[in-house]
Amino acid sequence: MPASSKAPAQARPHVGKTKGNHPLARYLVTRLGLSVLLVFGVTVVTFILTNLVPADPVQAALGEQAAADPEIVARFREQAGLDKPLLVQYFTYVGRLLTGDLGTSNQTRLPVADEIGRAFPATAELALVAIVISIVIGVGLGMWAALRRRRPADHIIRAVSLIGLSVPTFWLALLMYYVFFFKLRVFPGSGRLSPAAIAPPKVTGLYTVDSILSGQMSTFWDALSHLILPALVLALYTVGLLTRFARSSILEVLNQDYIKAAKAKGLPFRVIIIRYVLRGALVPIITIVGLAFGSLLSGTVLVEKVYAWHGLGEYAFTAATKLDLPAVMGVGLIVGIVYIGINFIVDVLYGVIDPRVRIQ
Amino acid sequence: MALVGACIVLFWILVAAVISPLWSVDPLAQNFERLMEPSAAHWFGTDQLGRDVLSRTLAGSQTSVPLSLLLVVSALVLGGTLGAIAGYFGKAIDETIMRIADLVFAFPTIILAMVIAAALGPSLTNAVIAMLIVSWPSYARVMRSLVISTRNSEYVIAGRLMGAGAFTTLRRDILPNVVSPLLVLATLDVGTAILLLSGLSFLGLGAVAPTADWGAMVSDGVQQFSSWWIAVFPGLAILSIVLAFNFLGDAWRDSLDPRTAGNIQGRAM
Amino acid sequence: MKIKQLKAPLTAALLALSLVGLGACSSGDTSSPNGGAGSSVVVDTSFDLKTADPAREFETTGAIVSHAIYETLLTFKGDDVTQPVDGLASYTMSDDAKVMTLTVKEGHTFSDGSPLTVDDVVFSLERVQGIKGNPSFLLDGIKIAKVDEKSLTMTSQDANPALPFILPNGALGIVNSKVVKANGGTTDANDGAEAFLNKTSAGSGPYELESYDVASQVVFTANKNYSGPVTRGHDRVILRNVAGPTQLLNIQAGDSQVALDLNPDQAKELKSGDVKLISGPSPYMIFVLMNQNPAVNKFTSNQDFMTAVRRGIDYGKIINLAGEGAVQPGGVIPSLFVGALKTDPSNSFDASASKAALAKSGYNGEEILLNFPNDITVQGLELQSIAVSVQAQLKSIGINIKLAPQPVATELDSYRGGKETLGLWYWGPDYPDPTDYLVFTPGQLVGLRAGWAADANAEITGLAEKAKAATGNEARQAAYEALQKAMNVSGPFIPLLQPAKNVATASTVSEVSLNPVWTIDLAGIK
Repeated sequence: MPASSKAPAQARPHVGKTKGNHPLARYLVTRLGLSVLLVFGVTVVTFILTNLVPADPVQAALGEQAAADPEIVARFREQAGLDKPLLVQYFTYVGRLLTGDLGTSNQTRLPVADEIGRAFPATAELALVAIVISIVIGVGLGMWAALRRRRPADHIIRAVSLIGLSVPTFWLALLMYYVFFFKLRVFPGSGRLSPAAIAPPKVTGLYTVDSILSGQMSTFWDALSHLILPALVLALYTVGLLTRFARSSILEVLNQDYIKAAKAKGLPFRVIIIRYVLRGALVPIITIVGLAFGSLLSGTVLVEKVYAWHGLGEYAFTAATKLDLPAVMGVGLIVGIVYIGINFIVDVLYGVIDPRVRIQ
Repeated sequence: MALVGACIVLFWILVAAVISPLWSVDPLAQNFERLMEPSAAHWFGTDQLGRDVLSRTLAGSQTSVPLSLLLVVSALVLGGTLGAIAGYFGKAIDETIMRIADLVFAFPTIILAMVIAAALGPSLTNAVIAMLIVSWPSYARVMRSLVISTRNSEYVIAGRLMGAGAFTTLRRDILPNVVSPLLVLATLDVGTAILLLSGLSFLGLGAVAPTADWGAMVSDGVQQFSSWWIAVFPGLAILSIVLAFNFLGDAWRDSLDPRTAGNIQGRAM
Repeated sequence: MKIKQLKAPLTAALLALSLVGLGACSSGDTSSPNGGAGSSVVVDTSFDLKTADPAREFETTGAIVSHAIYETLLTFKGDDVTQPVDGLASYTMSDDAKVMTLTVKEGHTFSDGSPLTVDDVVFSLERVQGIKGNPSFLLDGIKIAKVDEKSLTMTSQDANPALPFILPNGALGIVNSKVVKANGGTTDANDGAEAFLNKTSAGSGPYELESYDVASQVVFTANKNYSGPVTRGHDRVILRNVAGPTQLLNIQAGDSQVALDLNPDQAKELKSGDVKLISGPSPYMIFVLMNQNPAVNKFTSNQDFMTAVRRGIDYGKIINLAGEGAVQPGGVIPSLFVGALKTDPSNSFDASASKAALAKSGYNGEEILLNFPNDITVQGLELQSIAVSVQAQLKSIGINIKLAPQPVATELDSYRGGKETLGLWYWGPDYPDPTDYLVFTPGQLVGLRAGWAADANAEITGLAEKAKAATGNEARQAAYEALQKAMNVSGPFIPLLQPAKNVATASTVSEVSLNPVWTIDLAGIK
């Protein structure tokens, strides 16, 4: 977690002595370099992991009779590049990767990039809605709890946020689906759209955005209504997380001298909250929002399974259990990049919002 | 809240250690009619194979809870040791350990655990190993930053000047000061560990049939939607024990210095 | 350039279609279309889809897709798979069952309006052979030759009485050779038409591909140039990938009109509502294998131990677990096919006989591994449930089974490698003919997986050869029955059950057409 890796003693001795270079730029370049190295590390680790599996991916890809035909097996190995030594396989992979080629799925023979291009927006849309819900509710509740510190509202919010952190999502997903779709019929069933609806022309891959771009309002509402239930299930955990973080960081800010000064000056309560408190608490909140968003992007597999949401989590699960090695590599890489990217953005925001980080 | 948490944890320890072994109904026996609703004879009903859900729910405490504790303790020891080494010695050792930690962080927990569990083959032991690989870095980071912040305090420097070696300094001067925040983090992590472990079992990558395991039981319930009791009771069991550990950890953290408390939040799942 | 030009009309078509969809929405009723032109129907199934290219397809979902888009030379009427009937062609078979002559009927047209010719047939079949995909084995060793503009011959090396039963397979659907060739199609390993066929269909079947997403759904629209015998119930069919439990909710809620993968417990819940249910035995056969290789395990190759396992399983209990519609086949051939054995006392539960055999075997409580894939459901029935049940039953006999589940992809390796001690698997028919089940004999595909070498059992090998050579339904029936009876005594396979096939249809659906080979005829949903 960046918050703790930015512990006070983690001094970068040379940063203070910058000559001419803008410190922020230097900081960005260093972080970017580290990120690229990390991505490289991710490919190595995924490759090692996928090759540790004590089973032959060829068996998983071929049918009962085809797998018994040595000619078919040999041809498959050759086409998938599995007949070469591991090191050669790895460098071939990296070489292709540099040209943007993620390889071809062993299972569907479709380009992995295409499959991820289809699965990723589905999950991203879900995660975005969940994170928006979480920010609104979580920061709101956190602020309320902080302002009502040690009063009943604080205790209730605290208990609620702990419950949010304690519910098994796969179980909740099932319950919510049963109650709100099946029993009460408040929300539509599984999938991203109603069965009769047609996906809007792909621009971003996010159905809500694409439907607005193409002016199909009814598709927009359809997509949105399908999003709400799984997003709420996912949001419960992040709401719990954000509430707690927002509360503690707002409390910390409220104790600062400049807030006391602002209060003493007689500034209106609203102004103090928005201009000083929220701004002061923004850094830790952004950090945790970034992390939560990253984990949402990948942690949706359990919910996706229940809601027939064919996103990245489901894709990763199928790939891992079907030994679809190129697909596993692709998912590992994409998710790794997203994680590293989010961390990078959070770090940059840190630098922008809080100049102390740079100067330190 | 701490009291409630402690009571629930005690209850489940009692169940795992005493009640379940003595329970009259065998959690594996398939002697009953299938898919019976909860009744006086079977308070929690029976599942798709005619097993008693109550005795299985009770028996489930024997897998998830001890294994999660074991996992957290192992992660604490492994991560704590590596973090202490990194923090104390700094330089290349620090860089190496922390970059590896970064690498693990760059992977999402559940996907990495999924791939490892798939690679090693499904079993609770392998699930725990998979989760250990993904969970040590958070302890390493916290430990490292705590060690760094105490390393330069006067009494530690004084100790070193008096000729104490690295190991002695770490053990005698630093460890006592970092142990309670780490334990709080660990307590809060038990809940997360239980959630993850049961999630892996839910996906079929954890507990092996016919073991009574809460996550696997919920996944049985997915197949029999209208037999709600198969999934609801083990789900509530998971919820209760996770909540209990979170209550405990939360209260404990609160009793510590609030500034330290802010620093020690576990990683988002 | 070409693609760009195509784009505008395509978008327009999509928009028009979406307007149709919206029209249906705004009338407030998407769930109960009443058939006829312009109407659509939603079918839920759990996908195992890999491709929409018939020559590469060999999956359950793939067969549904292929059957909707492509026509085959021969076909089956309704759900009767004991008698192949004319499809695109009529046929005669030489007396020695080696040469099949097919006469292609006139008047069938592809979706682009061009007529279906003998050349298309030859290209399609040779393509299946040449690209060496999963279904290639269907036409192993068969020479395809065009005779004239109307007919072709298929010549096999040995007698091949099963060929008429093989030809209705969706993988042997006839594609528009001109279009496929233009898009990279060849009859050898260099074929590159799959990507094209995953987007655009080139068949003569009742539907065309409107959209294809291997993970979520396949949408079909009417093939305007279709000239075959089937009257489409609906002009648009949406085949969605939905898990069993969700299928149940969807059909109850009116979100879908057909649900294909309900397990018996889920099906039972539908009995009270107005959803209709069709149940019967499926063609899938779930079995236990006992490895005959003493190096793998000395007990599972011991005749007494094998008998103890065979008589120690409570088949009735397993059928009960599998629910209404499930049956216990008498041998490895499912009850629906020619050659099936009704029952066999060798495969029946008898605890005392089992214990007696066990006592003779020298077994003394040693742990025996039972391997199975834990992520496989057969018709909604989890193999895991059966494994757990078998384990408990054998425990009461005194056999100590340890379950060793793995995801199927991982487990396949040791199954196909013949390394499992005990295994729990299923066999889905490649084609509805008993010949397909000769794979269970010594030295054959599945036989070897149980460590059953070619020279292991001369009696059974002899019976298998006789069965293979038999012609005429009666002679074949007798020969296959004799084979299975012998296998039930000394063979390594214990056929446990054929799970039930439960298909639920909404009250608005008056008719569905099911078949063990292609599961459901989408055009037949009315």
